[in-house]
Amino acid sequence: MYTGANAAELKSNQESSSSATLVLSNGMRFSGESIGAQASIEGELIFTTGMVGYTQSLTDPSYFGQILMFTYPLIGNYGVAHAQLDSEWFGQSGFESDRIRASGVIVATDSARAYHWQSQRTLGDWLKKESVPGIAGLDTRYLTQLIRSTPGLRARIVGGATSGSDEQFKAPGETSLSSVSTPTRRVIGKGSKRIALVDCGVKWNIVRQLIDLECEVELLPWSTDLSTVDCSGWLLSNGPGDPQNAGGLIDQVKKIMTADRPIFGICLGYQILALAAGAKTEKLKFGHRGHNHSVHLVGTNQGFMTSQNHGYCVIEETLPEGWSPWFKHLNDGTLEGIRHQSLPHRGVQFHPEAAAGPQDTRWLLENFIQEIRS
Amino acid sequence: MKPIQKVILLGSGGLSIGQAGEFDYSGFQAIRSLEEEGIQVVIVNPNIATVQTTPKEGRKVYLYPVEPDWVEKVIELEKPDGIIAGFGGQTALNCAIRLDSLGILEKHGVRNLGTAIDVLRLTEDRDLFAQSMKAQSIPVPPSEAADRLEIALAAAERIGYPVIVRAAYALGGLGSGFAKNPRELRHLVEGALATSPQVLIEKSLWGWKEVEYEVMRDSFGNAITLCNMENFDPLGVHTGDSIVVAPSQTLTDAEYQLLRNTSLKIVQSLKIIGECNVQFALNPQSHEFYVIEINARLSRSSALASKATGYPIAFVAAKVVTGKSLLEIKNPLTGNTTAYFEPALDYIAVKIPKWDLKKFRGVSRTIGTTMKSIGEVMAIGRTFGEAIQKGIRMVTENESGWNGFVTHPRTIEGKTSLRLLPKALVEELAIATDARLFKIVDALRQSIHPEEIHQITQIDLWFLNGLAEVVEVENEICDRAQKWLNSKPSRAPIESASIKEVLNEILIGASQQAWKRWKQSGFSDESIAKLCLSQVFPKVLLSKSVWVDVAQVVRALRLRAGVRPVVKKMDTSAGEFPSSSNYLYLTYQGEVSDEIERVPGRRSALLLGGGSYRIGSSVEFDWCAVSCLEKLRELGWSSSVINCNPETVSTDFNLSDQLYFEELSLERILDVRDFENPEGLIVAMSGQLPNQLAPHLAQLDVPLLGHLWRSIDQAEDRKKFSALLDGLKIDQPRWVEAKSQIAIEQFVHEVGFPILVRPSYVLSGAAMSVAVDQETLKAHLSRAQEISSEHPVILSQYFDGAKEVELDGVAQRGRALATAISEHIENAGVHSGDATLVFPSQNLEPEILEKVQAIGAAIAQALILNGPFNIQFLVKEGKVLVIECNVRASRSFPFVSKVSGENFISLATEAILDTKDLPAVSIKAPLKFLGVKSAMFSFQRLAGADPVLGVEMASTGEVACLGTSVDEALLLSLQASGVKPPQKGVLISAGRMEEKARLIDAVDLLCELKIPLYATPGTAQFFRRRGLILREISWDSVGSTMIKLIQENALDFVINIPKDYSESELSRGYQVRTLAVRHGCTLMTNVEKTDRFLKALKRKQNGDVLERVFSLELACQGFC
Repeated sequence: MYTGANAAELKSNQESSSSATLVLSNGMRFSGESIGAQASIEGELIFTTGMVGYTQSLTDPSYFGQILMFTYPLIGNYGVAHAQLDSEWFGQSGFESDRIRASGVIVATDSARAYHWQSQRTLGDWLKKESVPGIAGLDTRYLTQLIRSTPGLRARIVGGATSGSDEQFKAPGETSLSSVSTPTRRVIGKGSKRIALVDCGVKWNIVRQLIDLECEVELLPWSTDLSTVDCSGWLLSNGPGDPQNAGGLIDQVKKIMTADRPIFGICLGYQILALAAGAKTEKLKFGHRGHNHSVHLVGTNQGFMTSQNHGYCVIEETLPEGWSPWFKHLNDGTLEGIRHQSLPHRGVQFHPEAAAGPQDTRWLLENFIQEIRS
Repeated sequence: MKPIQKVILLGSGGLSIGQAGEFDYSGFQAIRSLEEEGIQVVIVNPNIATVQTTPKEGRKVYLYPVEPDWVEKVIELEKPDGIIAGFGGQTALNCAIRLDSLGILEKHGVRNLGTAIDVLRLTEDRDLFAQSMKAQSIPVPPSEAADRLEIALAAAERIGYPVIVRAAYALGGLGSGFAKNPRELRHLVEGALATSPQVLIEKSLWGWKEVEYEVMRDSFGNAITLCNMENFDPLGVHTGDSIVVAPSQTLTDAEYQLLRNTSLKIVQSLKIIGECNVQFALNPQSHEFYVIEINARLSRSSALASKATGYPIAFVAAKVVTGKSLLEIKNPLTGNTTAYFEPALDYIAVKIPKWDLKKFRGVSRTIGTTMKSIGEVMAIGRTFGEAIQKGIRMVTENESGWNGFVTHPRTIEGKTSLRLLPKALVEELAIATDARLFKIVDALRQSIHPEEIHQITQIDLWFLNGLAEVVEVENEICDRAQKWLNSKPSRAPIESASIKEVLNEILIGASQQAWKRWKQSGFSDESIAKLCLSQVFPKVLLSKSVWVDVAQVVRALRLRAGVRPVVKKMDTSAGEFPSSSNYLYLTYQGEVSDEIERVPGRRSALLLGGGSYRIGSSVEFDWCAVSCLEKLRELGWSSSVINCNPETVSTDFNLSDQLYFEELSLERILDVRDFENPEGLIVAMSGQLPNQLAPHLAQLDVPLLGHLWRSIDQAEDRKKFSALLDGLKIDQPRWVEAKSQIAIEQFVHEVGFPILVRPSYVLSGAAMSVAVDQETLKAHLSRAQEISSEHPVILSQYFDGAKEVELDGVAQRGRALATAISEHIENAGVHSGDATLVFPSQNLEPEILEKVQAIGAAIAQALILNGPFNIQFLVKEGKVLVIECNVRASRSFPFVSKVSGENFISLATEAILDTKDLPAVSIKAPLKFLGVKSAMFSFQRLAGADPVLGVEMASTGEVACLGTSVDEALLLSLQASGVKPPQKGVLISAGRMEEKARLIDAVDLLCELKIPLYATPGTAQFFRRRGLILREISWDSVGSTMIKLIQENALDFVINIPKDYSESELSRGYQVRTLAVRHGCTLMTNVEKTDRFLKALKRKQNGDVLERVFSLELACQGFC
């Protein structure tokens, strides 16, 4: 359906639209048009090159605390669907969690008039409703180049008046997984195989796919004592930030690395698995954030197009004995997956659950479930 | 398996609607890619105007029809390891399938490289394709195949009307259409079955979204989608005739991935190797979708996708078909990243088709499932308004974009005037035509809500809202002018004020934000001027040069407000990785330009491209541009290019140092000039469009390289040129400026009919026509005035039975360095672009040749020419008259360059740069072989267009073949252009007595064929008296016998020579001509061409014509 303002409203919006400023930790400032909430926030400035799927990206808990900029210049075209919270995991709404997780949004142009049969509101209205500030009208390509050449660039969105824009930037704080993880244990779906899903900020599409594969999923807070959990397989979810902040969880994972139950890690979950195995991680010079990252299955000439969103990687040289590289990035050669040579433990850096992005590696989750069955 | 060392690459032949320059781009990229792998390439393609048929060390070019018998001969000579069919469009694909069916590939042990032939066959047979999709649970629209009308009618009953009819094995949707009832179905199916063995009757999906994916798969099973594209026009308009955006704008991630997954599933299930295009219909209200069709080859869409993303699709596909894995191929654009990735865009690309339908008499302007457009442009922007307005300017070559199309101007009160009844408007919007976009804008100007337009057109509301936003900004600009006007107490001082002062007063003080908003919405400086001035002077009508001047006022004010465009790269990665890409565009949505790496210390030139392909400006000018760029590089100059045609080689990623995929407008040229600061611009290579800009560029003090703009003006302005000829004592047909009724009457009295009517400064004889009486004179005059209001209309004496001769030349500072003289097979009266050319000329007396040479040298000297030029002559009774002179490269430059072995453009480039005195080059004459160039027509696609040849150009492409005699080369060349010898039956109607007489030999030869010959009464009587018996059919029974014969496919050759070009005469033969073309008959409307063709055929049957196969290289080396 059509969502958005009519011409007269737009005109009046235009007159009344207020400006907002993006202040960077390198001292640069850019002013644009305020969209969404009138609030001031601060965070790491990162970009995604995906051309579709802004609903998925904004609700992806892995972006928690970050200011997300879209390199595609026209965002909001198809509006935002109803969250379908009543059918939580099954909706086609494109929601990857129950709310916007990025702390701010930067776009070149936001579509004030959106249209799609599923659309319920515009991007701007959604941001307002969820109290997330954003700026439109910036030179996102130039900002992309700045981010690329300035590792760890932080930014502040300052709405309306520019007061407070001269404050010192906070040192990047540790992201506590508690802010994105489920507060309580809960069971979703019915099935003969019970998957324990350690929620470090899980994307709903992981849950949807497990349920599609006829699993019963027990969603666990990230700090759960895993020895108390009864399951036939472990899935360590994606999530935000530096894996080394997952402290306690790394130790917990060490304990579940036994031969009887398969473990599968995705993104942050994969990094945690690697740390538990004894490998090391480091921050990437350029994070991978987009839908066009190509990886290859090590030892073959088979490639896969993957959706990625990470700023850290596992260092190949630190892989302990018994572990092998599984996937590698075709461009920078970084590790994209590891597997144990004899135990059913493996993980991938990219997102087989996609959402948004290509779904070419869906088979990984299927294989993981099959492994449990056999 | 034996490694591939030598391959035959099949080309696509002459350009026609549905198969145009995009295959020169894909073939040329493939050649470069294969050669990089150390593979020798042999090209079979009679299209002499292409870049891919340019001889080069190690390459071999065969100018022969892309048909199995000729390709087999090339196979026998060259003994290649493989053949590649995926880069030459439908022509190459069909040829490969037939080569396989005939067992030729197997016989000679030649491997087909790329997707297997059986798979190609399956993708081309719609029924087999549908079955194979269903087997994979991939939805295809309910459809049934039919090879007879009755079966088609029954199928439509089962599926239910409306249905869509598609012809199998046809390019560009030929013979396709919607049928709402059995009557319409009958009409469509009959037409389609005349050229195609099978039709498909499908469920109509009118109004659904049309989305395409470009997919690549290697032989190891790795597959990626390189780009998706969404049609602005929903299903119902052929994708070649749709406005298309890339990437898709209205699809959610779920929809995008659903269609992407299906695309990959299709290429995997069919084991495609190389490129594949998949077209989908997507329900706009659900996730329901169907696969419409796939093309397992490079296509127009893949060329567009390649230019829209920057990913060199053909280059990579060529490596993939030779067995390389996508993972091991590097992306040549970045040099260090893998080709196995999917480009991310950070801009929107908009393709708009170029129809050029006004060039065709009688053609229907509606667009639908049969493609009619002849070219296209691609516009890049960072907002929808910016990209679409750029695109409109590119395709209309109108500086002010859609303001050139205000058919319902605002009234002085600032409100739009409602002149159309809503019902009429509904009809205008409901029927897709070449002007629908402008109708939509008009409707929005009349405050029709986008929702209403959406209801009528089904165009996605996002696009319509995008247009509405631009119209709102337009209103804002007009309101500003209104406010200024209202602030004036009286109109009197305004009337006397200068236009520039008024404009200055209106715009001065506009905020930076306002300027940004206007420019980000895509308005040009000239359009801002026009919008403002239209409020103050409602009837303002200014000449182009005044507008150029007025636009400078806007530019100056805008620059003062600090608003200027920035340069951004198209780098395939949306800025994620550093890139040395030189693929650029300009935008106002941005603050900082990308850093562009330049090699310092080099001299630099900016080459203007030719814009979209259209009648009269096609791939030949791209060849000229590419030859010029190669020479610039060789001479160590830095080169920049501005062009907006995605079907060209000149816009390929590494032919120039900086490539601006941009408008060829004065405003944009000034912008690029500011960024690049070149020594000068080259305007002589790319046809009439850049040439027309030359005087205005000079007006703005932009330095030009090559001819002086005064020379250009002197040659283009009929009056000035004529005075020059008089001064040089060079003969010319008598002429007069049609300024007054008295002047016209006097001229008619002196010279008598027929009279040629033509405007100055036009290309391809636009609005040029022959008046045979007072009535036609009046009609033609008003049409010519409409086209060129700024320049006078010229009347000139028209010569019957004169020979036409062309001279192509290169001069340096007035000294002719090289000249090439060709002659036309047809007598004067057929536009040179439609005529059959022989080079070197064969039938001109030495003294005539000398005269032509001398005149060429004299004109070059008088105009102090410095670069390429072309002069056209009439020769009659020993007299040589000059008709026109183009001081730029002409259509025949690639032809004479390749046949003579001397690249005239390379030479012209050196002359233009003028760094040293160049020695004259003598073209060896006579050569041991000659070339014949023939025109390629697309009338089959242009429903209603009259396929008669005249002074206005109608051909869409050309081919040329070599031979040791005119007969040999002519037969090959005509065959390559689609002319087939009569085999079933012939219909003859020849106009005037002298033309009948000139056909006697030809009819005599036809009589020997022992096939039924029919003729109209006058013609039959004429020949009966000479003992030649033809079956008489009266004109009165048109509608019965004649039509029936054609409809029953009893005829395959129609000779129809109109008496003259009067309306009544043309309309008499119109039905027969259009019907003949529709049914795939060879149509001859010219006496000389018919005569030469039939005589050559006869000599061939007698064994008097040698038929040898040799490569262009061998010919140039003087093989015999």
